[in-house]
Amino acid sequence: MLLKNTYNELIKILAKPRSYIGFIALTVLIGVILLAMKADGESFISFVTASFEQTLSFNGLILNGNLIAFIILQMLIIHVPLLVALVTGDLVSGEAAMGTLRMMGTKPISRNSFLLSKFLAGAIYTFFLTVWLAFLSLIIGQYMFGTGDLIVLNSDGLVIIPENDIMWRYGLAFCLAYLSLLSIATMSICFSVFSDNSIGPIVSTMAVIILFTIIGSLDVSTFDYIQPFLITTHMASWRSLFEIPVPYDAITDSIIILLIHIIGFTLLALWRFNKKDINT
Amino acid sequence: MKYIFIIIIGLFSGAFYAQDSAQDLLNKVVEKTSLVNDYSASVLIKPDVPMIKSLPVKAKIYFKKKDKFKVVSKSIAILPKQGFTDVNIFLSNPKNYMVVEAGTKMINNTNARLLTVIANESSSEIILAKLYVHPVHHVILESEITTRSSGTVKVNYQYSTQLSYGLPSQIKFTVDVKEFKMPKSFSTNPHKSSTSKKKQRKTGTIVLTITNYIVNKGVSDSIFQK
Amino acid sequence: MSEIVVSVKNLKKSFKDFKALKDVSFSVYKNDVFGFLGPNGAGKSTSLRCMLSLIDSDDGQIEIFGKSLRKNRFDVLSNIGSIIEKPDFYKYLSAFKNLEIMARISGRQVSKSEIEDIIHFVGLKGREYSKFKTYSHGMKQRLGIAQALMHNPDLIILDEPTTGLDPQGIVDIRELILKLSKEQGKTVILSSHQLSEIEMIANRMVIINKGKSIIEGDVNELLNSSQMMVKFSCEEPERFCDVMSKEFSNISEFNVTASEIEFEINREEISEINAFMVNQKIKISGIEHKRKLEDYFIKMIQNED
Repeated sequence: MLLKNTYNELIKILAKPRSYIGFIALTVLIGVILLAMKADGESFISFVTASFEQTLSFNGLILNGNLIAFIILQMLIIHVPLLVALVTGDLVSGEAAMGTLRMMGTKPISRNSFLLSKFLAGAIYTFFLTVWLAFLSLIIGQYMFGTGDLIVLNSDGLVIIPENDIMWRYGLAFCLAYLSLLSIATMSICFSVFSDNSIGPIVSTMAVIILFTIIGSLDVSTFDYIQPFLITTHMASWRSLFEIPVPYDAITDSIIILLIHIIGFTLLALWRFNKKDINT
Repeated sequence: MKYIFIIIIGLFSGAFYAQDSAQDLLNKVVEKTSLVNDYSASVLIKPDVPMIKSLPVKAKIYFKKKDKFKVVSKSIAILPKQGFTDVNIFLSNPKNYMVVEAGTKMINNTNARLLTVIANESSSEIILAKLYVHPVHHVILESEITTRSSGTVKVNYQYSTQLSYGLPSQIKFTVDVKEFKMPKSFSTNPHKSSTSKKKQRKTGTIVLTITNYIVNKGVSDSIFQK
Repeated sequence: MSEIVVSVKNLKKSFKDFKALKDVSFSVYKNDVFGFLGPNGAGKSTSLRCMLSLIDSDDGQIEIFGKSLRKNRFDVLSNIGSIIEKPDFYKYLSAFKNLEIMARISGRQVSKSEIEDIIHFVGLKGREYSKFKTYSHGMKQRLGIAQALMHNPDLIILDEPTTGLDPQGIVDIRELILKLSKEQGKTVILSSHQLSEIEMIANRMVIINKGKSIIEGDVNELLNSSQMMVKFSCEEPERFCDVMSKEFSNISEFNVTASEIEFEINREEISEINAFMVNQKIKISGIEHKRKLEDYFIKMIQNED
């Protein structure tokens, strides 16, 4: 019944116009960035290397598809989670608002199966959105700009990763990115269980992301204790894959925290959904 | 008496014969490098600069008289801004500078002579150059170049197969690096807290190991076009 | 007596401080068309939602097909088709796709041809691939019935199925319900706030008000009982009452207004009283009578208004 209803959920997601907003938005957004980089990418590079250019010169193909993909992936922090929440935040509350939750609630499917099928469908949707992001940023980026070493600027300085050492990092980075998007999807579905209208869970998810991102970016020692547990802190953990050496312990910690969030939100949603009186 | 006089004359002659003047020595260095019309070579670049993590990079370098120089690399190669051909260009015209001998220094079992070259023009990019020159082979073993825009660059040279052309087999640059500041707009490392700040080194090194020189065989101008 | 299909005992449900159900009990037998009657806000929908596990009751027992709903949810719901309030489907999907989605989780195998058959049965053939949002109210109701029937359940629960329909639509639904019961042997629970609707279709019924069962039984017995509420209009209501008290001592309670007297009597006594009053030269300008239960139900609705 779980798989059958997951199939149902995917049909519903595919039929909703809203589901395509994410894909279209990504295409337009990434397209704009690619064109902008094609037109004036060199000045962006100067921004990256500005601190060093007084004494050093950087030679070689800096502006390449690998760098473009990295820049685009940076958008994960705020923008793509919104596109995910736009669909997943509506999965339960949208049905409550539409009245179909009442219809489906009378069917011989357990509430756990019903809700888990929504989580599964949300996960599949998020997966395809991530794949699309990867395709546009990496494949199209490499097609337009070629490949080469990747120069990355982080708070420790510049890291230059050789071309032959990049693709496996991107593979893992997109996996981590998917995990972080999945945690957002799970959070929004959980919010959706608590609401009977479409907009509330989506806005709440965005508010949480924005608030946690702000707290995470404040360089204040007071927040040092909270930051390691914030979901948004670990949404950026894919960046660690572009360090030399790769801090696998820290990445493992991030994966664990994200998984805890995913499991926690799922359990909370299941608990609430089983107790919920369907009055809509 | 006669023998003493001959000995004294001989000593003076020997002294004059053994030591060129500072300018003469520098001229010999310049003469040697001017034998090179063009060259290409393979280079392995190993940077060790604070706040930059990079693995060694292979590249090709091309040179054509008098000031065409190009590093060709698909990989990103970090090189110092100053210290390549700019020194030779500066030294090629004696009117640009004044040279003074300022002592000696032991470098790799050689008593290198220190020539201090001071720019005559106040607008010159190179303000001061300290050159440690091999007294016999007339090549630069070590240099300290102070420039207007890039501060001071210290360079060590080693020679092997292309000693006759004065082309080094290894160049080690030591550059001053200021405290590099990161733009705030970049997201913080999720695994570092605000309290973890390391003290940064003040200098960095870039070592170039140069092999497979092809000298005076012709280098196309198209290589130097962007 | 045929077997009990639905047994609801002492059902209770509160929403925060509001007691929606205080004590609802009734039984439904096989092949019944069972009327679930009550004014708006009586607790009909809440009771039905409890029966369909949309709501968890606070107390009470619900057994369907002899099984506890709580413990055998899958088995029980697999054999029930229902419409609670208005039928809502996925607006952006066609009717056919909506039914396919419902069929997949109905607990029984429903083939595409069976879905096509049911669409034809409810009169939507030709419109099955139109998006649900293009449907009229009547068509939506038909689709609701289609999803309730397509997996061939033994029990059908319909919550005010004729609401918003035109007269022809209402007749169609009534005929369909009778057909389901008589020809297909299904048990139907039909909730309504209109006694006349129940009277036309149901064979048994329960009336609930303010979350409590009031009366349950055979429709004919309850509505055709000889007890009537009669209202006489006359110019001398006090004299009327005097005469009534002396001559008809079995009647002791009167509701008297300026020109009307209302009381409960047997049907057979109406003409007798009328003739007697005429003899007494008490002018009767009008007689209204309702069945006692009907009168009671109307008063319930009026109080609710």
